[in-house]
Formats: sequence, C-alpha cells, structure tokens
Amino acid sequence: MTAETTAAATELVSTKMNPNVIPHLHIWEWHIPLYLFLGGIAGGLLVITSLMIIVKRKFGIGPKDEGDGCPCLAVRIGSLLSPALLGIGMLFLFLDLAHPLYVWAFYTTVQPTSPMSAGSWILIAFFPLAILQAALVNKKFLRERNIGIVNKLIDWTEDHLTVVALVNAHIGVGIGIYTGILLSFFSARPLWSSSILGMLFLVSGISSAAALMLLLAPDDEKPVYSMIDANAIWIELVVVGLFVLGGITGPANNSGAMMHLIAGNYPMAGLPYMLWFWGIFVALGLVIPLLLEFLEAAGVHIRFPQVAPVLVLVGGLVLRFLIVFAGQTYHTFM
Amino acid sequence: MAKQKNYGMVIDTRVCVACSACVYACKSENAVPEGFCRDWVVQETEGAYPRLRMENRSERCQHCANAPCVTYCPTGASHYSDGTVQVNSSRCTGCKACLAACPYDARYVHPDGYVDKCSLCKHRLDEGLDTACASVCPTASLNLVDYNDPEGKAEKMMAGKEVYRQKEHAGTNPSLYWISASNKPGA
Amino acid sequence: MIQGQDLNRRDFLRISSLFLAGSAAMSTPIGRTLSGGGDALAGNGEERIVHSFCEHCFWRCGIAAHVRDGRIYKITGSKHHPLSNGRLCPRGTGGVGQIYDPDRLAHPLIRQKKGGRVSYRKATWDEAIAYTAEKLYGIRETYGPEAIAMLHHGYGYTFFKKMFMAFGVNKFAKPSFDFCCGPRHQGYLLTYGHGAGTPEGVDIVNSKYILFFGTHYGENMHNTAVQEIAEGIRRGLKIVVFDPRFSTLAGKAEKWLPIKPGTDIAMMQALMNVLITEDLYDREFVAGHTVGFDELRDEVEKMTPERAAEITDISADDIREVARTYARYAPAAAVHPGRRTQWYGDGTQRSRSMAILNALVGNYKMPGGVVKYEKYKLPKSETHHYPEFEKKVWSKYPLFVDTKPENSIASHEVIEQTLDEKIKAWLVYGVNVPETITLGRKIALEAINKVDFLVAVDTLPMEVTGYADVVLPECTYLERYDDLDGGRPYRTPFVALRQPAVEPMFDSKPGNQIAKMLAEKLGLHGVLEEDVETYLDRKLKKAGSSLAEVKKTGVLLGKPTDLYRKPGEKLTFKTPSGKIELASSKLREAGFDAVPRYIRHPEPPQGFYRMLTGRKPMLTFGRTANNRFLNELPTARENEVWVNTHVAEKHRLSHGEYVHLKNQAGVVSEYPIKVKVTERIRQDAVYMVHGYGHYFKKLKWAYRKGASHNELISHTEIDKAIGAVGFQNNFVTFIKEA
Repeated sequence: MTAETTAAATELVSTKMNPNVIPHLHIWEWHIPLYLFLGGIAGGLLVITSLMIIVKRKFGIGPKDEGDGCPCLAVRIGSLLSPALLGIGMLFLFLDLAHPLYVWAFYTTVQPTSPMSAGSWILIAFFPLAILQAALVNKKFLRERNIGIVNKLIDWTEDHLTVVALVNAHIGVGIGIYTGILLSFFSARPLWSSSILGMLFLVSGISSAAALMLLLAPDDEKPVYSMIDANAIWIELVVVGLFVLGGITGPANNSGAMMHLIAGNYPMAGLPYMLWFWGIFVALGLVIPLLLEFLEAAGVHIRFPQVAPVLVLVGGLVLRFLIVFAGQTYHTFM
Repeated sequence: MAKQKNYGMVIDTRVCVACSACVYACKSENAVPEGFCRDWVVQETEGAYPRLRMENRSERCQHCANAPCVTYCPTGASHYSDGTVQVNSSRCTGCKACLAACPYDARYVHPDGYVDKCSLCKHRLDEGLDTACASVCPTASLNLVDYNDPEGKAEKMMAGKEVYRQKEHAGTNPSLYWISASNKPGA
Repeated sequence: MIQGQDLNRRDFLRISSLFLAGSAAMSTPIGRTLSGGGDALAGNGEERIVHSFCEHCFWRCGIAAHVRDGRIYKITGSKHHPLSNGRLCPRGTGGVGQIYDPDRLAHPLIRQKKGGRVSYRKATWDEAIAYTAEKLYGIRETYGPEAIAMLHHGYGYTFFKKMFMAFGVNKFAKPSFDFCCGPRHQGYLLTYGHGAGTPEGVDIVNSKYILFFGTHYGENMHNTAVQEIAEGIRRGLKIVVFDPRFSTLAGKAEKWLPIKPGTDIAMMQALMNVLITEDLYDREFVAGHTVGFDELRDEVEKMTPERAAEITDISADDIREVARTYARYAPAAAVHPGRRTQWYGDGTQRSRSMAILNALVGNYKMPGGVVKYEKYKLPKSETHHYPEFEKKVWSKYPLFVDTKPENSIASHEVIEQTLDEKIKAWLVYGVNVPETITLGRKIALEAINKVDFLVAVDTLPMEVTGYADVVLPECTYLERYDDLDGGRPYRTPFVALRQPAVEPMFDSKPGNQIAKMLAEKLGLHGVLEEDVETYLDRKLKKAGSSLAEVKKTGVLLGKPTDLYRKPGEKLTFKTPSGKIELASSKLREAGFDAVPRYIRHPEPPQGFYRMLTGRKPMLTFGRTANNRFLNELPTARENEVWVNTHVAEKHRLSHGEYVHLKNQAGVVSEYPIKVKVTERIRQDAVYMVHGYGHYFKKLKWAYRKGASHNELISHTEIDKAIGAVGFQNNFVTFIKEA
C-alpha cells in the first residue's frame, strides 16, 4: 500500500488510507465471485430444466421420461441442484455482509432504483417455485416417502408443472441476468459498467449449467446437454467478443478497464489477468470445450468426455473471479 | 417556516496547505477507527522542474444531490438529508454496494460492520455548529455553506473565481465546490 | 546507595515494558478511541471544555481540551486565544495521541547494577528524588555548580530552572537556539534592537508581497502565521519563495525560485544591489532611521544581478524583477525572517540580510511591513534572591544572545564541556539528546558516555532516557499546570494559562511538583515552596485577575496594539546607535563583518547531494515521534528522501524503493529510507524530514520508521559570533538495498 503514485507528470500525495479503496477498490473477495458463479449455474439449471420439461411435455422432444409425470434423470437432478446451489451461493453472499445479522433490512423495504434490492426480492420469488419444481419432478420419489404436507402440495399442483416450468424459465433468465446486472449498474467501475455483462453472465450460467448436467446425465441423455452446451458456448463467445469490443472501443475509462482485463499484467493468484482471460477463460474454458464437443458430435471418440464440461465449469468460475477482481483493481471512474 | 437546508462545502484550494488538521479533527470528533478516515488531504503537483503547479485539497464525501450510493443502497440505509447524504448504520447490512457505486471512493467499512463516511458532521449541523474539519482548518480553506441561505454566502465566495466540481460528468451533482488553486491571489 | 561511578559506562538500556504505561493506557476508554473501539458520539456524559495552551511546538497556541467521562476525546483551537482564533494545526489536535500513548513512562526509574548486569528498576518518587538530590549535591560539592547543566526544551522547564538557580547552577541550554531561532533572534537584535518574535513581527495579512527564503510554511504549521498567509492570499498577497525544493509554500507562490543551497546571502545582496543602484529604496527612511548605509552600499555594489545569477542559479532578470516588484509594493512588502535560521555558520548575517532588506524599503511599522508587537504587561513578581553566579553567561561566543534568560550557554557547548570533563551532571528536560541536532548523534553519545550523572525528565521513553541514571516521568501538558505564557509580544497582547484537563495518569507527576520535591530535598528554602495554583493565582491577582477567572478561558487579553507608525512619529531602536544598524557596531567591535558578506560554501563531492531538512505539518520531531494518532496517516508514517528525477535516473533509483544513505564521512544510515522521485527538488540536493529513524524499541510507533537525519550529520559549522550550529554542509549518496 502506498500513499502516493507518480504518474507521468503528476505527483499525487494523499493521506487517504481506507483499505477498502486504497490502493484500489477492495470490497469483495472469493464470496461474491462464487455467489455469482453458483447463482449463474442455478439460473442456468432452472432455465434448462424448465425448458426441457416444457419441450418434452408440449412437443415430446427430449430424453425418455422417468414416467409417472417425472422427467428424465438429469432434469430431476438439475431441478434439485438449482435451488440447492443458489442456497449455497446465498450463504456466501450472506457471509460477505459486514453485518450479516442485519440481513432483514433487505426485506423491510423496496428500493426501486437498487438492483440489489430487486435481486433480493427475485431470490425470494425464486425459491418457492424452484423448490416446487424440484418437488414435482421428483414426485414419484416423494410419494414413496408419504409425507402429508408434501403429498398435499403435489396433489394441488401436479397438473400445473408446465406452467410452473414456464414461469421458472423466466425466473431462471432473470437470475442469470441479475448476476451480471448487479455489477453492470456500477457506473463508477469502468469494467463493470457494460450492459452486456448481464447477457454474458446469463449465457455463461447456461453453458455452465449445461456442462454440469452433461456431467451428471446418464449416457443416453448426454447428447442433448452437449448440444445445449455447445450452443451456449458459441453464443457466449459472441457475447464475450461484444463485451471486449464494447470495452475497448468505449471512452477512456472503459477502454482502459478492458485493457486492464485483457492485456493487463496485474496478477490474480500469481498469474496475470491477460493469461487468465485469454489462456484460461477463452481458450480452455470456451474454445477447447467447444471443439471437443463439436468433435464428439461429429462422431470422433473422445477418451475423457468429462474434460469438456469440467473445462466449461472452470471457465465459468474463472470468468466470475476475473470480472469481480479486475473490476476492483482498475481505477475508479475518472 | 425556515427554508429547507441544503448543505455543502466551498473549498478554497488557493489557501489549503494539506496540513491534515481536518483529518485529525474529524477522527477525534467522529471517533473514526484507526486505519480509516472520513476525510483526507491530497497534494497534487503537475509539470516539470522548475515549472510546477500545485493544488492542495481536503477531500471527503461529495454529498451528491444524485448520489449513486443512495441509488444503489438496497435497504435505504444511505439516504438524503438536508442536502447531505447520510448512512443509517442500523439499517446497513454492509453489502458494500455503495462503496462500488461511489465515484469518489469516499466510503469505508467500519470494523463494527457498517459502511461509514463523512456525515458533514450532521450531529453538529443540527446544533447549529460548523463541521469539525471546517472549524479547525487553520487556513479557512474549508467552508460549510447552505445553498438555500438567502444571504448567498456560497455564491459570494465563488464569485469571479475559477470554480469546479469533481467528476461532474459522473452525473452525481456533488455539493462540494472547489475554488481552483490557479486563481490569482485576491481574485 | 548505588555508586554512580560504577555505572558511568553508559550502555544504552532498554526500559522494561513493565515500567511503561503499556496495556494500562490501552484499557482506558480513550485507548479504545485511539484504536477505534470507542464511540465518542455515544457518550452520555457531560462535556467539559478546558482551555489551556499547546505544547506540541513553541508557538503555544490556545487549545480547548474536550473532556467527556474523564477522558479527553478531542482537542480543538481555543477561540479565546489570539494565536489560535479557534483554529488549530494537526499537531495540536494530536494531544490525545500523546496523553494516551501506551508507551508512556509510568514510574520513576533508577539505573542499577546487579550481578554485573545493568538494568532499570522501578523506584518510588522518594527514592528517585533522594538519589537525584544526593548525586547533584555531591557533584556540586566536588566540582562546583558549573559542573551541572540543564538541557531543556518545552515550557515546563521554568520550575527546574528556578530550582537550579537557587542551587547555584545557571548553565541552561536550549538546543533549539543552536539551530533554529538563535541566529534570527540575534540578527534582528543586532539590526533593530528587538527580536523577530514568535509570532514574527510581519504584518502578513495586510502585505502585498512577501519574500520567503527557505522557510516552508504549510509544512511548518505555525498556526497564526499560516492563518495570516491564507488570509493574505485571499486579500491579494503575492508570495515569492526562494527554496531549492518546491515546498507547499512554493506551491502558493507567484514565483518559485529554486535557489542553489547556501547562496541566500548572495541573493539578498543582489536584491539590495538592485534596490540601491536603481534607486528603489526608501531614501528618506534610510537617511532618518538607519546607520551604515554607505558601508552596505560598498559591500553590495559588487553583487550585481549578473554575478548573483552565476552564484545562485537564478537569472538576473528574475532577481531584478523581484527587487523591483518588492520596491513597488513597499512598504506593504516584506522579507519574512523564517525559522530554523542556522544553516551554514553564517546564519546571523543571513538573518541580518533579511532585516536589512526590510529596512531598505522603509516598511518598519507600516501596514503590510515589519511590525513590532507589544507584550502583555504582567507585573513582575518579587524576585527570589539567588546566589551569585560565577558567570551570568557561560557561552564563549562574544555575541551569544543575552536577552534570553532560558539560555546561558549554547547546547553544543554543554556537549563540548562534558567531553572536556568540565560538566559532570545533566538534567535533561524534554531533549532527546542523541537525536537533537547538536553536533550530530555520534558526538552526543560520546558526551553522554562521559557524564557522571544524567537525570532525564520526560513523558516518553525517548532514546535519551535509555542512557539516564534516573528517569523521572513527567505527566503531559494536558495533565498539569505550568508557568504563565506571558512574555511574548503579539497584535493582541496576552497571558495564557496552562492548566490540567485531566488528572496525571499512572505514577507521573507535573514538572512543578518534581522540581519542588527536588528543591525540598536539596534544602533550598524560599523557592518553589508554594503550591503551583497559589503561585499562579498570586501572579494573576497582581495583574488584576485571578486563577479562577483565567481558568475559564485560558487567557488574559490586553488591548490590541496600534501597530503602525504615525506620520512624523519618532522611531527609537535599542541598538547602540539608536537606529537600525545596516552595519552593526556590535559585530564590528567583536571583530566580525559589520555588513553581511557572501561566503562560498562547500559543494557536494561527485555523486553526493546536499542533505536538506525540514518537517512535516503533522509532526514536531521528537515530541510527536511516537504519537500514534498523528503518525497514523500514510504521509506521516515515515520520512522519504526526495530525489530529483534525473538524479534518480543516474543512480537507477525508482520511486518507492528503499535505500540507505551514506554521508561524506562514510556514515551509513542504520535504517533504510524510502525514495521519493520528484520534480520538486534541485539536482544538487536531497531532502529528508528530521525526526525519524528512532532506534529505541520502546517507542513502538517510532521505532525503525524512516531514517535518522541526525545520524547523518558528521560535519557542523559554528557561527563564531553567536555560537549557533549549522549542519547543511553534509552530503549524502545512496546505497541500494542488496
């Protein structure tokens, strides 16, 4: 930590010492990127599982159902994981609060201009419906347990799974976008203040969720998730390109911030941002899995089919860490 | 009924020597914990030897009329009051969104678990007193003003001088005005 | 009783933490405020405001200590005191950091030798006082009273001085005379017949044009002067700063002239040259009120702006322009006398040059010029009949100032006489000898090793206390009464009271009580017998007030004085001629130059840079070194060495790296110092703030922070006229960390 910096022709000596902003913004560490990652996957899982349910029910497309109104295994697991992962993510968010016991304050007010206030309410809406979906898709299992209240709940809603899924698909998109919007509304942070960040995190969340389902799905169900994943990655590559281009062609604040990310040598866990961004996120996290999945779809035998989805998940995680960290280490809006 | 107050500051950088008395006065007055500050001084020198220019400033929360911290605060802990921006620590969860939102990096997380910053000594203003920093300032560079004051103290101080506000293009409409050090003596 | 002789090999002793305030201080409520746990706003206790005066520098501003629940939670400027006007410098606000310093001395200590090991032991006050009295008595009996000297800095010294005078001792030395105010005081005295004053007699607020030579107001936070400069700027004051460094004040200047160090007198002579040759000086004033003009003219005639330009690195055009502008604004123009006026051994003449530049434009007692403030007329108390001293003034220097009774010898002479074994005992009151500039650290330590008995009175375990035989812990200025501050002239004459805001903490005592106890033990009757409150009350009652009355505001104010001269007013000066002495008769009689002459000073050796020094606005050297409240700011934590960009390139130094400094005598700084690469300094000099690099571990905050400037002083120049010590002919180079 230094009290002064010598730029080309300006000597600036300051007595400011707050460690949260000196030498750069330092408010969020691992909790928030993990929350954003898990939130993204949760949103993605909800989107994918909901769509799978709808598409299967309306158009009969998709892997074979479990029967008794229960969808295939991956959808069932995905539906369960979505609220579970978001719950874990929110635990990290909660742990990040400087005063966690005041968390109630979120829910005694609606602050229409605050994305975080909106987010906290979306999260509240998310859980009942996501859990309901998780229960309905696993109703066969639950009926066997014969729990009175659960039975009643299933009785009452089982005919409406399609509607639940339809609403959930929207909530899933909302959650996915929200994880990006959370950052992109900070116009004081040039890297974050890009409206495409919401889209990027949504697509990344969907691809990560697809990768996760690909890992968990039985072999016969895998191809569909591989296809979803490959498409999500492809779209994500386009969105990443737009994010980067939008940054470097933007005004000084934004282009500087983007260069800090894509060409910067500021270290994260010992490696420079540039390497993380191009080497790990873009190459390992997007391009290579896309190639692998493309090859696999084209019939080439891949010896370790888990590699592609694992790389996608790593890429998704790295993206959150990179954006959260590089956004903090770049200077404040000038 | 008296007109609503609209507090702010006019800071005369022509006379400021960056001595930091304001920082210490604030720390004592507001029991700011060790390692943190609500205000700070900056000494900025431009140019190359021997043609140098210097500006000294005492900086703090800008008490923006369009404050991103208030906009972003999810609980309403950050709020407006008499032209100032205040933090209600009993509603603050310490989510730190306001720190990210502030283009002036004026806030910090208090070790007791809430976000803290310059309150423009609101507790003193309410008693009709000057802020701790302005009252200690040896050069009278710091001046508390009420922009709704019918006598126009702020306008008079700034009349005929080069005056600026910081990061106005952030759209924050800050309540701190700066009399530039580039003004000629006696301007 | 322990024999001092056994212990006179004075190894530096670490004072055990057991004897310091330590956690006791931190567990007090203010300790929590300092470390952030307290919430001053939540206090429900009544607030009590105590008006006193500050001790963080000699300016002694009025302060208001705000006490809540028995603790001081903040200190602000007293609105009653004319030197603070309700405002205060950072150091003044930092008193809380001093009183609640966890490293404070908490108990009297006696150095003892046990089983071959020398250590300190906790003593009772009775023991410590009895031991001190016995040693002082013994030394006086054996070697005479001239073998005892007091080194002092700080306003509580008066009681010890009284005690000593009754004891027959009158060797008193104040190190600040040697390097700070001595030359200036004497230079003005020789020229005008009165000192430059604290505050300086310059009507800054009404001035239009002021020249500053090297003095760096803004970093030098003399409250009232800074207030006046600020007000002056608002009213249109133009400032010219001659300084090798772009100081904060230079940042306010219309013109910054980066003069070559050591050439100020040449510059001032050139300014005089222009004033005289271009007939810009005030002929009438010079003819009527000064003597020695012809002699001065003859001396400065040779110093043309062109010649001065070669010497000073400032262009002849700039010199002419400044002199002409100065004359144009006169008499609302002045040269400020500055502070820390001994640089190269010719400080008296340098100060006189400034005095002369003022006299030439006839700004004496004129709005915006040089003014003479008045003192508050405090009736003299009946004087104690002191024993006859062998000498009133012990200094060997012919023009050693004799109007400042707190000084009867230069502090470096105390060091020298100790090395010559003429002085055997020291009472050190608030002077951290090894780190205080009197011939540098090495020689100071040699002298400390020679002295038979050393008693230190201090609030903190400064380095000097580690060498003492007895350490007497004084309480801080916020916990005690001192004598009245009534001797200083100002616009509004005043008498100020120092009074305790809270009770003394731990086992510390006020200086007045310590001196009283010593006086009693030494059997000195009729001196310091009454209690301090009775004494102050008696003094104030003579002035028509009372202690109870003055306690309310901390000051007794006189009528603001009429500063300006009336048309035709007769001016008198307390000089031998009764006029302003452009050529000083006293200097001539003592065998020195009657008019200031420029002397060439040594140049830095190849690869070395002149070591310039100064201060930071929030610190007063030793007195604030360990103040964690003040030292907390990133700009206060350590000193940096300022290096010009080109010099840094040459030595491959980068901004922020740590280097050791080595001086021309090969002394290498014990601790590394951070490099500040800057455009703000000339290429032939470096700059570092004094008062860092403390080597005493018990100063937890100060220990190993930055490098010591005093350590790097190996060469001094003594002003043969008055005995002040210049130390700017020390040069340093850089040793990069391996």
